[in-house]
Amino acid sequence: MRWRKAVAAVAVAVVGTSVLTTGGVQAEGDDVGAFQQTRTIERVFDEGGEQRVVDTRDFTVRVDHTQNLRGRERVRISWEGAHPTGGRSTSPFGENGLDQEYPVVVLQCRGRDGKQPRPALELRPETCWTSTVQQRSMLQVPDAAAIWRSDRFADEDERGALSGIDELPSSCGGTIDGFSSHVTPFVSAATKAEVGKTYASCSSDTLPPEAAVDAAFPPAEQAAYSSKDGAGDIQFEVRSDVENESLGCNQETACSIVVIPIMGISCQQSDSRQLNAACRKEGRFEPGSSNFDGQGVDETVSSRYWWSESNWRNRVSVPIAFGPSPDVCSVLDDRKPVGFYGSELMVQATLQWAPDYCGRRDRFRFQHNVLPDLASFELMQKDEIPAAFVSSAKEVEGAAPTAYAPTAVTGFAVSFVVDEPGNAGERTTLRLDARLLAKLLTQSYPASDMGRGHPGMGSNPLSITADPEFQALNPGLDTAPQETAAVLMSLSESSDVIRGLTTYIRQDPEAWAFVSGRPDPWGMVVNPSYEAIALPVDEWPLQDDFRPTVTQKCLEANNDTPYLTRLAAPVTSFSKIADALLDAWPLAQTKCNGLGTDQFPYALGRADRQGVGARFLLGVTTLGDAERFGLRTASLQTTRVLDDEQDFTATGRTFVAPTRETLAKAVAVATPGRRGEPFALEDGAVRKAGGYPGTLVVYTTAKTAGLDRATARTVASFIRIATTEGQRPGSGNGYLPKGFLPLTRTGSTAPLFAAAQRAASDIEGQTGATGGTDGSGGGDGLGGGAPVDTGAAAAPDPDAAAAKQPVDEQLTSLASTESTTSAFAAWFLPLLVLLLLGSAVAGPWIRVRAARTEQP
Amino acid sequence: MNHSLLARPARAGVGVVLLAIAVLLASTKPAEAAYAQIEGSGSTWSQVIVQQWITDVSSNGIKVTYTGRGSSAGRKAFATGTTDFGITEVPYQGSGAQGGDDPPPKNRPFSYVPIVAGGTAFTYQVKVGGKLVRNLRLSGDTIAKIFTNQITNWNDPAITKDNNGRTLPSLKIRPVVRSDGSGTTAQFTAWLDSQHASDWRPFFGRSGLTSYYPRKGGATGASGSDQVMNTIADKAGGNGTIGYVEYSYPVNKSFPVVKVLNEAGYYVEPTQYNVAVALTKARIRKDLTQDLGGVYTAKDKRAYPLSSYSYLLLPTGANDKRMTTSKRQSLADFMFYSLCEGQSKAGTYGYSPLPLNLVQAGFDELAKLRKADPKVDLSNRSVTKCNNPTFVPGNLKANKLAQIAPMPAACDAQGQGPCTTGTGSAPTSVEDATNGSGGGAASGTTADGGGGGGAAPDAGGIDPETGLPVGSASSGGGAASVAVQTELVAGRAGDDAIFGTLAAVELLAIVLAPGVVAVALRRRGRSRTGLGS
Repeated sequence: MRWRKAVAAVAVAVVGTSVLTTGGVQAEGDDVGAFQQTRTIERVFDEGGEQRVVDTRDFTVRVDHTQNLRGRERVRISWEGAHPTGGRSTSPFGENGLDQEYPVVVLQCRGRDGKQPRPALELRPETCWTSTVQQRSMLQVPDAAAIWRSDRFADEDERGALSGIDELPSSCGGTIDGFSSHVTPFVSAATKAEVGKTYASCSSDTLPPEAAVDAAFPPAEQAAYSSKDGAGDIQFEVRSDVENESLGCNQETACSIVVIPIMGISCQQSDSRQLNAACRKEGRFEPGSSNFDGQGVDETVSSRYWWSESNWRNRVSVPIAFGPSPDVCSVLDDRKPVGFYGSELMVQATLQWAPDYCGRRDRFRFQHNVLPDLASFELMQKDEIPAAFVSSAKEVEGAAPTAYAPTAVTGFAVSFVVDEPGNAGERTTLRLDARLLAKLLTQSYPASDMGRGHPGMGSNPLSITADPEFQALNPGLDTAPQETAAVLMSLSESSDVIRGLTTYIRQDPEAWAFVSGRPDPWGMVVNPSYEAIALPVDEWPLQDDFRPTVTQKCLEANNDTPYLTRLAAPVTSFSKIADALLDAWPLAQTKCNGLGTDQFPYALGRADRQGVGARFLLGVTTLGDAERFGLRTASLQTTRVLDDEQDFTATGRTFVAPTRETLAKAVAVATPGRRGEPFALEDGAVRKAGGYPGTLVVYTTAKTAGLDRATARTVASFIRIATTEGQRPGSGNGYLPKGFLPLTRTGSTAPLFAAAQRAASDIEGQTGATGGTDGSGGGDGLGGGAPVDTGAAAAPDPDAAAAKQPVDEQLTSLASTESTTSAFAAWFLPLLVLLLLGSAVAGPWIRVRAARTEQP
Repeated sequence: MNHSLLARPARAGVGVVLLAIAVLLASTKPAEAAYAQIEGSGSTWSQVIVQQWITDVSSNGIKVTYTGRGSSAGRKAFATGTTDFGITEVPYQGSGAQGGDDPPPKNRPFSYVPIVAGGTAFTYQVKVGGKLVRNLRLSGDTIAKIFTNQITNWNDPAITKDNNGRTLPSLKIRPVVRSDGSGTTAQFTAWLDSQHASDWRPFFGRSGLTSYYPRKGGATGASGSDQVMNTIADKAGGNGTIGYVEYSYPVNKSFPVVKVLNEAGYYVEPTQYNVAVALTKARIRKDLTQDLGGVYTAKDKRAYPLSSYSYLLLPTGANDKRMTTSKRQSLADFMFYSLCEGQSKAGTYGYSPLPLNLVQAGFDELAKLRKADPKVDLSNRSVTKCNNPTFVPGNLKANKLAQIAPMPAACDAQGQGPCTTGTGSAPTSVEDATNGSGGGAASGTTADGGGGGGAAPDAGGIDPETGLPVGSASSGGGAASVAVQTELVAGRAGDDAIFGTLAAVELLAIVLAPGVVAVALRRRGRSRTGLGS
């Protein structure tokens, strides 16, 4: 027994150190590096030897965080004091942002401003990323229109007929007399394998490889919009060297976000009157106006010349730092992976957890396979997989005893992308009640004139934007109907999220009354196809059958699928919905094209992307995805104090946004079931407590009978690791990402934590079988070996638990109940065995002696 | 005695220390391969499993984005060089193809790498008395006539014959086809053209396959597999529909699929086993593309006729504009994982794993990445380390799944049955497939399908070899044990202490009970003798 203690001691040392190192490397920095800087920017004209400052402003830039960034993370950049933008284009990204006047250009560049130890580390236009030729090159422009050559701040070389490069590559055309060209080559980062390359960037084949038309990643650089008062606010997506190898930003390679307020080119006096006039233009679009049809703009104040010295010198450059690239698993690891299956709610967490398993030989290779909750549970019951992630109690015929271990507190979000009217930016908060969600899900908005003819809902508002209920809760938005504002993007498959969402509707008196057929205060009624649908459901059914009368040939040929069904177009995963929101690209299958010929038949497809400034999309996502991608999430109504018949206003109604606090309030009222069973999270109680109604607990479920010992141990160790180490908030490997509420030994999640530890023990000990009557379980269940097995199975884990202790103490003040209590078994059982051995020897001896003494 | 007892733990201790050091060394960061993001687009047939593989490799630091836009769009994007890879079910079709020319990339050398196998399934919604029929069977001939608008009602005698005399109610058949350029359509129409040319060619107006289904008459078009599935599962308008998608779509939605009649006279479902069996008859050309003629007519009782492989378009040129060392490394390792270990989960997702000879062929193609760029690291990547469920040691050509695939139930034979068990729940274990228990889906059967041949339901009722009896038999015991533990919990503070105590009590009971009983018996015996005397 002593050697077991030795194992324990060594294990403590080993696990302790290795965890400490990872913990140290990936500590979540408290300093997020908020940034603020103000500078004076100006535009100057030379006039008859005099300098005239035509425009001067104090430009302030704020960035919410700049440290420890990850690829595709979004940072919030806001500014004031810029020239108001005119002629807003449908999209600020990439070349789409070129035809605007006075935008603020935001780029990600390699290098830092100021004196650097090596020239290669300096920030310059050549290290700034753009996605297209148009953003970097002006080719064969008539001299009289080559306004960059009038830039009074540019040096002499830059004002030549060809600048930026010594010779144009053949694919970029030649130099012609009377025409000017400028290119801003892109210089890629030097890597271990290659030195930095110079891409002329004046034709599609001289661009770096990441700059492809139609790339899966849309351009991140923006020509952003400033409101009439010169303020702007955007989310900017940074790219690491993983996403953009040529740009090459990582922990070692310093980078910056460069914010260039376009003031227009500062012009010198030129001999050409035409050129003078072109250079000195001040814009033809009114501040706040749109240019959705892409008309020509006054180029001198457009973002086309961000690289000209006049604009470049006005820049604010924001140093950014990427976090360490996470330790990753090796593809050469030939240990068989252990696949847990189930809920997509877990994905962001399991993505961060997985590398913390594979990187350690003392753990197994963990994988999370996304599959509908119920299907996963069934696979687990059939012994196809060790464990399933689900969010509610599952009833399966002939189910073996199963334990539910609370593993994560998270939930669903109604995420949105909604623009303010009049190009005033993006709406950041949205309030929704259960009835509005019910209206969207039951397809009770006719969506467009095509849907007007839908029987039984002719007088309903066409979309949520036109619904007085929505307007009362969210004043100030555009009230015109929009086709895609008639639906909530949602899931086509079965999921506990849909159960949660429909429970929220079922439990809400107003929403349920509406679904049951009672009109809302404005007379809007439920779509008859969904009237009195039984709720909650695991899978939202498509059951509208209305086919509109259409005249357009293409629609006529594609009219068999009900119109509102095509509009709803649910998909198979929440991540697809998150993508749709990120790209403002509706899932609706409403775009009809084709020629009607055999070769190009009429076909229905996905609707077009929405233009920035006119976006309105709502979708159900996981909280993890919403946080990871910086999606905005709606607040959901919890309680109201007014009577039904009162005028409908937002007052008296409470709306709760998903935050760690509101998730905590929700789980605080969760009532535990019997041992091993899931908690009851009553919608009504959650609302009363001010908890977020979309809160869901994800359980790791596994059998407590019939599992082989190795699998049982694996699952138990996963639960223990996930509920201790896995609950430290942070973005590093093994940590808990945003969108999840940490389970702790104390506080509102304590009962969940305790239940998880009990479930882990039950699964590990397979108590569902060993505690059974000895008749049915078969001989091996209760044979002489069984108690010894239990001891052996229990012993290593107390050791592991003890090993974790120092780490826990380092990180939080978690009490180490687990190790103390398990230690009991560890010392008591061996002692008992010794005792019994002793008595086994002593028994016969005593008996023999007794017999001897009796005999005579 | 005492000495040796002490010596052993000491030795063990040294071993443990050494082991611990090894663990410590092993847990340091693995050799870092430089990866860069790769992106691709194409097939929705393969998308379900490809998406999971992408999630899996993200823990290896490999970032992959994939958009399911249909195979045709995927081939085009790859040809024009806007993606790093494409995924497609059929090769480039060349010029003159319906739906537009489909030329292979001009200046972009590439290979076809098979990535996964699967069955093109026919999923449907037919309700009888408000209940979903889950055990429909159709012959290839009937399917061909349905999709060429020659059979238009579910009560058609041909369908009745397929279902051994069970007649469905009069209900219009609405075929659902893909409206976008689709590899699923291409696979389906390739089969139609090969096996049912007399139905297909007059309908199509020409011969050969197409990626764009010629939608005529009452057929409905839908874009992408997701939307085909939505159209069929539609509660209001979906009754009467039938469409074709990869098996994973109905499986994930718990929707039934047609059991298709094979050459041997059995109606079978596209499970990973039946697909594996059929594909042993696939002829693989030099460029790894597939000739499925032998699959369509496979004589094995288990073979699913519409089985096929899906392919990744791999850029192999040394001067590929989009490729860099780190991108090639990403592609190589993403494919290494997918071809290797990724295959092990194919069955649960409604696909079928690739046999090892194709995995090996895929590896040979990956080697071209290293040829194009010697800095790509492909060392130590071997097919034998794959945990591939098809692997038969010593024979790369063999497919274990095909060897262990269960035979169809007697009620699945032509002229027998029909079996009353449901479809579309992807039985993944042999036991499961053998029993035909079909998981939770077995509840829905045809209203008139009661008197089936019975082999499967019988087997489902017996259950002795499965895990079920253990579970169900012990469920009572399990409940009892839960109750006991709850009491103990109430009494004590720590959980593990309970187990310790429980174990201790059991241990004590086992050791002491016989003695106590013996002593008690002896005492009783003694007292009895005492009384008698």
